[in-house]
Amino acid sequence: MSTQTAHGRHALLSTVSVSNKEAGHNGAMTGFSTMIWFILRRNWLRLSIWALVLASMIPIVFDSQQQAFPTQASRDAYAQVANTPAVAAMTGLPYAAGSLGGILVIKIWMTLAVALAFAVTFLITRNGRAEEETGRTELLRSRAIGPHAYSAANYFVSAALCVVTGALISLLCLAVRLPSTGSWVMGASIAGTGLAFIGLAALCGQVASTSRGANTLAVALIGLFYFVRAAADLEAEGMSPSPLSWFSPIGWAQNMRAFGENNLWPLLALLGLGAVGCIFALRLESSRDMGAGMLPERRGPTRATRFTASALGLPSRLQRASLISWFIGVVVSSLFFGSVAQSMSSLLDPSNPFARNFVGGGATMLDGVLGIFFLFNALLACAFAIQSLGTARSEEDSGRLEQQLAGALSRRTWLMTHLIIAVLGSGVMLLLGGYLIGLASQGAGEPGVLAGACLSYWPAVLLMLALQLLTFGYLPRSSTVIVWGVYGLSVLASMFGGLFSLSENVIRATPFGAVPRVPAEDFNWSPLLVLLLISLALGTVGLMRFNRRDVLTD
Amino acid sequence: MATTNSAIEVSGLKKNYGHAVALNGLDLRVETGEVAGFLGPNGAGKSTTIRILLGLLKADGGVARMLGRDPWKDAVSLHRDVAYVPGEVNLWPNLTGGQAISILSKLHGSVDTRRQNELLERFELDPTKKARSYSKGNRQKVALVAALSSNAELLLLDEPTSGLDPLMEQVFTSCIREEAAQGRSVLLSSHIFSEVEKLCDTVTIIRDGQTVEAGALAELRHLQRTQISVEIAANAGELSAITGIEDLEVAGTSAKFSVDQDQLPSVLSALATYAPRNLVSAPPSLEELFLRHYSDNSGRPVGVRAGEQS
Repeated sequence: MSTQTAHGRHALLSTVSVSNKEAGHNGAMTGFSTMIWFILRRNWLRLSIWALVLASMIPIVFDSQQQAFPTQASRDAYAQVANTPAVAAMTGLPYAAGSLGGILVIKIWMTLAVALAFAVTFLITRNGRAEEETGRTELLRSRAIGPHAYSAANYFVSAALCVVTGALISLLCLAVRLPSTGSWVMGASIAGTGLAFIGLAALCGQVASTSRGANTLAVALIGLFYFVRAAADLEAEGMSPSPLSWFSPIGWAQNMRAFGENNLWPLLALLGLGAVGCIFALRLESSRDMGAGMLPERRGPTRATRFTASALGLPSRLQRASLISWFIGVVVSSLFFGSVAQSMSSLLDPSNPFARNFVGGGATMLDGVLGIFFLFNALLACAFAIQSLGTARSEEDSGRLEQQLAGALSRRTWLMTHLIIAVLGSGVMLLLGGYLIGLASQGAGEPGVLAGACLSYWPAVLLMLALQLLTFGYLPRSSTVIVWGVYGLSVLASMFGGLFSLSENVIRATPFGAVPRVPAEDFNWSPLLVLLLISLALGTVGLMRFNRRDVLTD
Repeated sequence: MATTNSAIEVSGLKKNYGHAVALNGLDLRVETGEVAGFLGPNGAGKSTTIRILLGLLKADGGVARMLGRDPWKDAVSLHRDVAYVPGEVNLWPNLTGGQAISILSKLHGSVDTRRQNELLERFELDPTKKARSYSKGNRQKVALVAALSSNAELLLLDEPTSGLDPLMEQVFTSCIREEAAQGRSVLLSSHIFSEVEKLCDTVTIIRDGQTVEAGALAELRHLQRTQISVEIAANAGELSAITGIEDLEVAGTSAKFSVDQDQLPSVLSALATYAPRNLVSAPPSLEELFLRHYSDNSGRPVGVRAGEQS
């Protein structure tokens, strides 16, 4: 396996020099095509999965919506009630809710556009800053390769992913017999979102000096622009968003209005942002040193504090920046949810079956809306917990665990410290989220009580952590992928289970679906105890296995 | 095997990674207070052996004892008395070198702060810089300072000088001599022959997961052949008649050949009858000894086990 890879790399490096000899020039882009080939060679599977998974959502969601709204009368009825603050804030204005194409946009457009933005962000960092950080870019740049060839090829391949994904989406829309203009605008607006974020991710990759920093910065931008457009759609007059919408590239793409007005000109703005971002990023690349960022490196302390050098202190210190950003995320989103809870529930018509379905059938609309927000907060806390425990695997993989275990530290203590941070951190995030939602909602519920209600998702988070421990013990190399995969499926099942026509029993069998959705549903201990017992069993087995297996370094 | 004063006792150690055999009955012995060289080509199993000794990998067979204890079961208590320097030091990029040293020292238990400050100066390491800005040599120094200031009974060093400049290699050499003078035991895995020659009392050479040569350095020299170049009055081809001459190369009146150490007296007296005009004798170098083992393609254990009497 490793010899094959080494062989492939060797063959590749000789190709680099050969193609340059043939080309015989020394421009900034020399070797551009070789680098495209190289990036495709390393990422073809990843690229294919992104394109196929995103595009395949179109027929799946279209099918379920066709069953939910079989007649024009049912779609017209839906159009009357579709414009709720929840829909506007989460997925945008439902400007064409009376048509199947318009309903498709409401249900899936935002998910696809934001997912594609994430896809290009991760790709740009993976093949850009991360390569530079490990020193592999240096190896390539030592060959006869233009200074911008690798970066430009990286932007180009990501752009190609956007175009192919957009084209697949359009073709699948056409395949289910949606109007042709709308189908093309649907694909173009999603591809355009991705292309615009390529420009932003490229800039982040130049400014930050680590891959982690580049990803954090770019994801923060996606989040910021998502909230800007959410605010714009909440401030909308009828079906036209507030001018704030033009301050977010996601807003530009929304304003293309697939299956509605079908505007093409915002696409120019998206393409422009992408192109300007990439060009500016290449400029920055020529003005900085290899491996350096734009932000200067600061000096630090001569020795570690007593806390940092302690068993629990080291993982806490390593995760400090990440802990702070997750807590800021929880505070901001909870305050946002809390402040819209009242107005959202008062706008929902309790007699409308679709609205009732959305909030999960509580005694009052407010209870249902709160239940959705709690679930959202729980999914956020769980993502934190998985990422936090994931640092254990990255410590092992990088070889740093070996140095720690070579000291007088037992494997159990080491793994427990990482677990404690994930467990306690997620618990505090759940409590804090519920409390702040209550506080910001101005009377929707007692903050303390809502905090407790939110905490009922803790066992579900613990189950995911237990699964992570189990895979860390038995399949350490694929642990991270498996856990994020299961997490993704749980999110889909608990948030969109109804959309995919999953049965109630199936949803109840997933970690987050199993938790009673208080306050709409009555609190019930038994599912939580079941979750806790399974967590305890899986976690213990995983921990015991780790005590007995080899330490695996990359 | 019953002796308890050995720092490291390994016999018949086996380790497989799936179908690949990493260790195939490896033997290694380091006596207390001894500096032992541990050599072998890349992939021979040196790091695997050291990781098993640290309890990071679980052996599939054989016996491994360190300071009389079980490396797997007694890992934590054992590590208070052992310090380790890996060949590839990976540090937390957002912590400073000084912070990393404190953390590694704290994990070890005891630390000699005076010695630590002194080592920082001798290795010319700036502890206030973030680890991500360190070169490979500087990352190596962090691990060395943490290990050498630890009061450990036994030092496990896995190619510890990779990336160090020649001056820093000298600092390292004198530090190890100081450790040895205080009676500490050292296992030094290295590819630098001069380093091993300068520091080590004994040497173990392994290949394909097996020990092919082990013994005191002085005795190993005797196993090696002396290289002789000679010019005689007659055609040098006649020299093939002398018993004890091997690998004879003839060019007119000059010849080159090798002689086993114990055959040397008889070969020299026989040679005298050919009236040599010029004779150059090259003593056996360790490098040749190592290279012979490194490049032997037969894959079987080579040579006699010297120094077994100890």
